[in-house]
Amino acid sequence: MSDKMYQPTNLLNKWVQENNELVNKCKQQEGGGDTLSRDQNQTPLRSYSSEFHKLLRKIQGVPPLVNHTHLELSVVYNACVCSTAQSQFTEAELLLIQAIQRALQMTGDEPVASNRTVFWRTVLKSVGNTTFNTCVRYLLCLQWAIWLATCQLTIIQELKEELSSLFETLCGGVGDDKKNEARGKSSDIPLLVTDPRGLVELLQICTSIIQGAERLSEGQSSEALSALQTASSLPAPRALLAYVHFLSGSCLAHMSRPQMALQCYRKALVTDACCVSALYQSMLIYRQLGNTQAEIQALRLLQSTLMLPSVTVPALATTHLLSPSLLLCSQSLSSLLSVPSALSVLHSLALKCVLHGRVSEGVEHYLDLLAALHSEDQHGVHAEAPALPRLPELYLEAGAALLMARRPADCMALCNEVISTTLELLPEKVVLEDPEETSEAETRDMSVDGEDRVGMLLWTGAAYLLQGHCHTHLKDWKQAVTHYTRCINLLVRVRFKKKGFQPQITSGDMVVKQGTHLCILQRLKGLSLAGRGISFTQTDQLKEALRDLLLSLQASPECVGAGLWCGEVLWRLGRRQEAAACWEKTWSFTTQHHSAEGLPVYLQEPQSGPLLDSTELRHRIQELGPN
Amino acid sequence: MEGRCAVETWTEFGFSGTPYTPKIKFGLGTNVFLCTGSDEVFVFSTQERKLRAVLQFPGPVSDLVECHDKQLLYVSCRSGVYCISFPFLLSRVQSSPADASSSPAELKISSDFLVVGEEGALSLLLVSSVLLILSQRDTSWLLSLYKTPEQTQSSSYEMLGSFRLPQVLADLNSDTEGQTGTRRRPVLVCVHPGHPKSPSSSSTSSSEMTITDSHFCLEPVLFKLLFGIDAALARSPVILCGLPDGRLCFLPLRLPGSQLRVLRSLEQPVVFVGASVVMETGPGLARCLVAVGEQGRVVLMKTDKGEPEGGGDMAGFIEGCVPGPVVCSFVDEHHLYYSTGSDLLVLDLSEGSSWREGKERDGETSRKTAAAFQSPTSLNVCRVIALAAPALNTTGDVQLLGLTIRGQLQRIILPAGREDAGSSNLPSTQVGRSVRDLLSAIGDVCERASVLKTAIKSKNQILRHLNHVLNISFLLLANKNSEEHLPMQEKQIRCYAETRWSRLLQKDSLNLTCVLDNSSPYVLEQGWTLSITVFPLSYSSSAEGESSSTNFSFPFHNLNPGETLEVSLPLSAAGDTSFPMRVSCSLIFSLSSLLGEEETAHLPSLQSSCISLPLNTLTVDWLHTLQVNSPTMHPISRNATSQSSNITTDTVQAFLNSHRSRCAGRGEGGGEGASKAEREQCSASVRVSSELLRDTLVLKSSDLDPRGPKSTPQNLCSSLLDWLLYESPEGVKMGHQGDRFVLSSSVVHARGPTGDTVKLTAKEVNVGEESLRAIEVQIESSSIAAVCGLHHAVLRRIQTLLQIAPERAASTMRVQSLGLRQALQRA
Repeated sequence: MSDKMYQPTNLLNKWVQENNELVNKCKQQEGGGDTLSRDQNQTPLRSYSSEFHKLLRKIQGVPPLVNHTHLELSVVYNACVCSTAQSQFTEAELLLIQAIQRALQMTGDEPVASNRTVFWRTVLKSVGNTTFNTCVRYLLCLQWAIWLATCQLTIIQELKEELSSLFETLCGGVGDDKKNEARGKSSDIPLLVTDPRGLVELLQICTSIIQGAERLSEGQSSEALSALQTASSLPAPRALLAYVHFLSGSCLAHMSRPQMALQCYRKALVTDACCVSALYQSMLIYRQLGNTQAEIQALRLLQSTLMLPSVTVPALATTHLLSPSLLLCSQSLSSLLSVPSALSVLHSLALKCVLHGRVSEGVEHYLDLLAALHSEDQHGVHAEAPALPRLPELYLEAGAALLMARRPADCMALCNEVISTTLELLPEKVVLEDPEETSEAETRDMSVDGEDRVGMLLWTGAAYLLQGHCHTHLKDWKQAVTHYTRCINLLVRVRFKKKGFQPQITSGDMVVKQGTHLCILQRLKGLSLAGRGISFTQTDQLKEALRDLLLSLQASPECVGAGLWCGEVLWRLGRRQEAAACWEKTWSFTTQHHSAEGLPVYLQEPQSGPLLDSTELRHRIQELGPN
Repeated sequence: MEGRCAVETWTEFGFSGTPYTPKIKFGLGTNVFLCTGSDEVFVFSTQERKLRAVLQFPGPVSDLVECHDKQLLYVSCRSGVYCISFPFLLSRVQSSPADASSSPAELKISSDFLVVGEEGALSLLLVSSVLLILSQRDTSWLLSLYKTPEQTQSSSYEMLGSFRLPQVLADLNSDTEGQTGTRRRPVLVCVHPGHPKSPSSSSTSSSEMTITDSHFCLEPVLFKLLFGIDAALARSPVILCGLPDGRLCFLPLRLPGSQLRVLRSLEQPVVFVGASVVMETGPGLARCLVAVGEQGRVVLMKTDKGEPEGGGDMAGFIEGCVPGPVVCSFVDEHHLYYSTGSDLLVLDLSEGSSWREGKERDGETSRKTAAAFQSPTSLNVCRVIALAAPALNTTGDVQLLGLTIRGQLQRIILPAGREDAGSSNLPSTQVGRSVRDLLSAIGDVCERASVLKTAIKSKNQILRHLNHVLNISFLLLANKNSEEHLPMQEKQIRCYAETRWSRLLQKDSLNLTCVLDNSSPYVLEQGWTLSITVFPLSYSSSAEGESSSTNFSFPFHNLNPGETLEVSLPLSAAGDTSFPMRVSCSLIFSLSSLLGEEETAHLPSLQSSCISLPLNTLTVDWLHTLQVNSPTMHPISRNATSQSSNITTDTVQAFLNSHRSRCAGRGEGGGEGASKAEREQCSASVRVSSELLRDTLVLKSSDLDPRGPKSTPQNLCSSLLDWLLYESPEGVKMGHQGDRFVLSSSVVHARGPTGDTVKLTAKEVNVGEESLRAIEVQIESSSIAAVCGLHHAVLRRIQTLLQIAPERAASTMRVQSLGLRQALQRA
């Protein structure tokens, strides 16, 4: 008789001990294994999870007893935490529900509602003030975590009141907590792997963040903003608070209040210096506002932050088994938080610098970028959406920057690299289809062997063009002519085919869309012919010079250098009236449009080389005028 | 072109079916690492020509890779990737006490050496400081990149990232896996862009790069064509990955935003990916990528010179198919070597160099290609399942390392200078070597020949066997067709039987001893089974007839002509009265026994198919079941002794029987008034013309007995009873317990299968008015079943007797029919 009395309590003690040992081991591991990455952490976690499940099976092998319930629900909590941490959400949820149903069998009423909302409401009601009230609350915390991790926001919204009261009771009851701690020392209280109080705090802030992100993506910016502003006062880790500020900033940006948005982004950065998305978004706002200096500054900061080793992975504190990254898996949030890779930021920075007059700085960035691409440590694992341009284009941009920075030798080396890579693959003849069919034609061309042949030809042409510019810069006119000629020879391989017509050499009077192969082709033609023409003027081959300059203007009428030099050649040939007309026309073009916008940097007109002074030309016209 | 290879066996390991395909790797000095797919990795020193160490891992080893600079060995196992420092390994080997003897040191590799805990790693590759691991997850292939630490001691392997490629649904691997249980390892190689001006920094010298198993320098144009301009500009090594689902994927390693992309699909598991020079243009730069599939598909990837107009070089894919399955493969500068498991073959890739010369000769070149693919040269080396090239190639001729299916590590030295075969002026030091090579090559050929010989022998054996089977089948089928005309004795293969009572564990049971007599000129060989089906005749037409039949089969080995096979089977226990029984015998030949077990395992349909040939059918009737009491013993007393043991049941039985017979007797009324009054017994009688009996029985018995019994009525009576009880007109006779006692009287007392006593009396009577003499056999028993059964049996016997007697007058028939009628009336 006495044996029968003692056995259950003995068993109970044994189980409690077993649970507590496991929990302590788990916590030690957590404390010691900070350096391990998430992936490597999984293996011990898996073993703990299976241990807890084993223990639970032992406990549940006995019919439900009132004095077992506390232990049983605690073990269920531990097992579910382990399962959830391994992203086994459905398993954890099932275990949880079954355990609660089993516990409720003792109180007599069984909630059978299949609806989760109704189920939990009845559970909370029927549990009332029984002994295992707190245990069930802890389990509700876990259920909340699972809903959050699986993005079931509607249920969370439906149970909003219950959850907020849960939050208040768990975080508010300070005295109760002390009592718990005191009792916890007497080893018969089952321990928990994660403190439910910390968990509920984390859940509260994560829920706010996700709800804010969802609302923002649905366009309800103002509602989102107000909810986020209340959330910003919650106790939470810094990284998460920074998210709240960041999201508030995004809401404001959506409501077209850029200055206030910038304030919020700044707040986010102050809270957590590693909140790169705030930096990125501020950069975008500066770009939108046209504040180039600030934009470049932001890009520089962003780039240096991204280069820090720890920042590439969002460093959310993983103090709990259930990390914030596990709970914040909403699609809209991650799209808001996404940031381009360090390399593409570096590229934007370099390009911005070059385009806005900071050539030497831009060159440094370009060289950094190329070095990074060639380093052994570079591995193509970051595949974000705003990717880098194709490598040959990058080389050409860098080359153009180098030339701007008056380093023609380096520019030539880069161009040589491009030429040597592509030259053997260039087609002897290629037909460029009508713009309407271009996309098709391109895809077909790509599918042959993965490369766009026309694109390749244009890159090589541009490389020759840049080399020509370099020689012009060095005043080596003969070499310049050679390289411009090579470029031109390449370009005439391209025939343009209009729907229903025979392929033909392109001419200047065609309507050309920006950014297409045809546009680049025409621009290249214009620049290379102009370059050769100008080189001819320097060697006094005026006839050839005139021919080339006229052809250049035909191909690309907006070419300023060609216009001016064409006038000059005409002047020298004694055709002064024509020269004057030519100059006037060129000046009118430059005031009319900036057609060079939107073209790659290597297709800009060279700033180096022989220049004509416009004032001097105007002076000449004035002299001519009275005649 | 007859290539004779020198094969030198270095060592031998025993191994059998393993979960992964084996691999040999030459590296870290002069060592060869072997992973056979089991838990062990063997380290073999080529200098000492002995096994130096055996590394024991906690699970099957799938792949290994060496880091030359840091003297490390990475081994992938089920639980992850282990890293073993080679100097450490050497120190352990030298310090071990086993060093003195020739046995290798055994090292257990514990989880301390685990560096990357990635499960299910299938293939490894090391590209400078990046360790690539290819593993298979639920529905996708996963290529993970880990950064190896600068210091050897440090154990932090930072994961750089991973690439996923969804698996295609139809896994071509499944059928091979089913056959051998071996998982084919995905091929993982690295292609470096070779550049004439600036050799890649990671390679020490470009020619060496070409040779190593998993790193190649590819000619720049082909590199650009296959992997794109960007990869070439970034000088990014490209990872090539041949998957068991047939896809050949590539990944530029150092290109931002690159993805695993499919280059080509072989539509069969990829066995090998390599590079070959083919045309000597660049210094050691491969001009051709080669991929080989498991069923022999070979894809050569090379540069096609562009047409004069339209222009530009193109990547050319040349596909062909070499005969036979490809177990493993290897490529050197000009040749593709591959093993089908039974032979090592070599394909000259430079023969196909004309392919790139022009497109106008398309038809011709494709024909040439096909011809080149179809005619590989045999090197006469069998059973090679893994190939590798030794790094040191001192003599200049082609050497290969091979691992045979038996676990022999072999060095295969290919015949040198096949191109310049004329100039074979061997230095004297080489002569001895070549003789040795020749001998070992002969040895290898011998081995191959013996394999073939065994195969042919077993084929002949099977054919001979099958011939015998067919002969026997025809013989028996001919018998069946002419069954009516052939008396049973003339059948060349037949069965006869004998009933015998035996007493086991105080139970009487009737056993049937069947004898298969082979008097045909053919041997009944292994694979034949004697099948005997026993079923009661009376039920055979009813619905439950099938269920009551019993089948016995007796497989036997060899039954030569003239030999007999005796088998014994239980017919019924005492008390069972389902006689007469039909015993049908047949011979069954199972086709699966023609082939060995392994072959039949592949043909499940064959396992159940067999030839069944009916022999003959025997009938066991009541007469056979009688236990005749010795005439000296009183029937009752004998009865009592034999039944004393189970007296209780038998008294009940007797009571029931008597009761039943009483009822029967009453119902009949009349007939055998005297006997009924006396003991309430049933009786039946059959009359046969004594003339007939005299003719047949005496004739028969005179054969046996030269003196010939006198044909007195008394004699005739006893001989009739004798005949009924002991002769075997249809192949079944009653066995005799002890001596067969001579029936002197015309009265026989016996016990039936149910235990009732039966009395058989034969006496001469006059039938009808015409004083036709006849013998009347009277059956008397208290059991009506016994009487009926015996009556039926006697009638049947006499019917056969009548058939034997060829020309009898109608009178006999009449008598007989009269007798029948009477019998029926009485019954």
